[in-house]
Amino acid sequence: MNLIAKTTVFYLLVSVLVFGIGGYVTYHVVETEVIKETDFALYDEVQDMADDIRDGIPLEILRRRRASIEHLGDHLQIDTFYRFTDTIAPHPYREGETEPYRKLEAVKEVDGSFYHITITDVFIESDDIYDVVVEIIWRLFLILGVGMLIASFLVTRWLLTPFQRILSSIRGFNIKQSEPLALPETTTREFRQLNAFVSAMTERARRDFRTVREFSENASHEMQTPLSIARGKLELLQETQPLDQEQLRLIDDAQTALRRLSKLGSALLLLTKIENHEFRAQHKIDFSAIVNACIDNFEELAMLRGLPVKRDVNPGVKVALDPTLADVLVSNLVRNAIRHNQEDGAIEVYLDHEGLVIRNTGASPTIPTRDLFKRFRKNQQSEKSMGLGLAIVKKICDTNRLSVNYEFQDGWHEISVIFPTNV
Amino acid sequence: MKLLIVEDQQELVDNIQAYLSRGDVVCEAARNFAEAQDRLISFTYDIVLLDLMLPDGSGLNLLRLLKRMNPETGVLIISAKNALDDKIKGLELGADDYLTKPFHLSELNARLNAIFRRRRQQGHKVLEHGCIRIDTDTREVTVSDQPITLTVKEYELLLFFITNKNRVLTKQVIAEHLWGDDVDLLDSFDFVYQHIKNLRKKIAIGGCEEHIKTIYGLGYKFTNR
Repeated sequence: MNLIAKTTVFYLLVSVLVFGIGGYVTYHVVETEVIKETDFALYDEVQDMADDIRDGIPLEILRRRRASIEHLGDHLQIDTFYRFTDTIAPHPYREGETEPYRKLEAVKEVDGSFYHITITDVFIESDDIYDVVVEIIWRLFLILGVGMLIASFLVTRWLLTPFQRILSSIRGFNIKQSEPLALPETTTREFRQLNAFVSAMTERARRDFRTVREFSENASHEMQTPLSIARGKLELLQETQPLDQEQLRLIDDAQTALRRLSKLGSALLLLTKIENHEFRAQHKIDFSAIVNACIDNFEELAMLRGLPVKRDVNPGVKVALDPTLADVLVSNLVRNAIRHNQEDGAIEVYLDHEGLVIRNTGASPTIPTRDLFKRFRKNQQSEKSMGLGLAIVKKICDTNRLSVNYEFQDGWHEISVIFPTNV
Repeated sequence: MKLLIVEDQQELVDNIQAYLSRGDVVCEAARNFAEAQDRLISFTYDIVLLDLMLPDGSGLNLLRLLKRMNPETGVLIISAKNALDDKIKGLELGADDYLTKPFHLSELNARLNAIFRRRRQQGHKVLEHGCIRIDTDTREVTVSDQPITLTVKEYELLLFFITNKNRVLTKQVIAEHLWGDDVDLLDSFDFVYQHIKNLRKKIAIGGCEEHIKTIYGLGYKFTNR
């Protein structure tokens, strides 16, 4: 239930209460007024009668239905009074039914003579007043309800539209976007405050993200120079005399560690660049050529490890991908297939217009295959691997509408990259 | 060989100078764009070692300047950026080779010598070491005036040894030189030994004495005797 609907329901509940109390009050006000007016009328009639008596009109003429006049006598020592009472009398038209009446009983002195006058008048039944009040209240309530529903609809349409637009702007916000979040203009103060708050917040998020991104990019990049220096120094150290076997091996081990560190830096830098969308697919490239060139590159290394590479590459497969990324993607997969292979193993590469499949033999994975796409997750036996190759593959696929799957079955690891179908 | 190193990292310049000064290389260094420009205008060099990222300008502009004034000078680009674009642009502008940081000094040396040989006049492209003679144009190798037949890898290996003679070359460095950066995909570098063994055998056929010294468990060293 949205805000306006909730407000409407709340107001309707309040109106029920108000109308209830209002009805009760109205009923009593009307009833009091009716009694008052009836009493006035009865009183006026008594005064009229007294005037008529004074004018000498005989009592017989004045007597009529619901009015009785008795002459009590002259110069009596009694009090004159008016007394209003409610009474019940038979209904004039309906047999056996009674009706409430208002009765005025008065003892009045007219020119020294005392008269006892009784007048009754039909009294509006409280049932009738009740019915009328309920009827009125009910109609008012209906009008109010309909009015409020229409109003809430209009309010939602007109008043909350800026809010909806702000919401959809926020929903479309991406922390990686290069432009600040554009929020719709509004004249409502609350929405202006919301806008100011949201833009400050998103701007800050964007800035922080940019800082982190620049940091990781700069860090990976700046790392290479000192690493280069350190490796050079070790090489120079290696040339100094005399060095024994043990010292040379220590230098070599240090070189190995530095090489790993520098490769790690490059891999992280590449990941950051892919994340930053620094590679844009300008047009479709000949993926078949890239796959073939890549296998040619690695075939010798594969042979050195005793791994035959079987390939079935359909010519002319075009994919929208940056050529550098395409090369990184295929190289990483082939590298992976060579590295995580076994004695007398094999590698198979298939490419057609649906996708690229690279299969290799190897020990069964020690962690779930989908976890191997995460950074620094790798099988325990792979000491030399950094655990970033498949993370890079995954990142390239994610940013280029390719999907990638990893399956292990019957001693074969199979990674398939599926091309988008709507091309 | 007269070499200009254009690189803003002093430590790196020191490394390169220290390594190369053991050979017959005269090294000069420029720390920034302006200094490099001055030197390139005033002197001629055989090879310029060019870092693309300089604090006060792009190395690619220096390359353009150099190629306009002295097209004979060889250029080896060194860059921390492994960006394909820079590489292609650099090579298009006339650079001879491209090396990504970090690199092995022995690899740098081999590349510099290769550029140097390519750019030298005819007749100077022959390397001689003891009884071994390599014509880098025709890729013919003779040992004690007897021609020997080497495979591509053996030839490259011999060339690498001769350009880095008297230096320790680890199996890793040799493997990377011959098979590229991805060579650590392999569990061991024992196959390097196979190639060395074959090379030794072929050199021995010519009656030449042992040049390749084994440093056990680590690598090899090509010596004068």
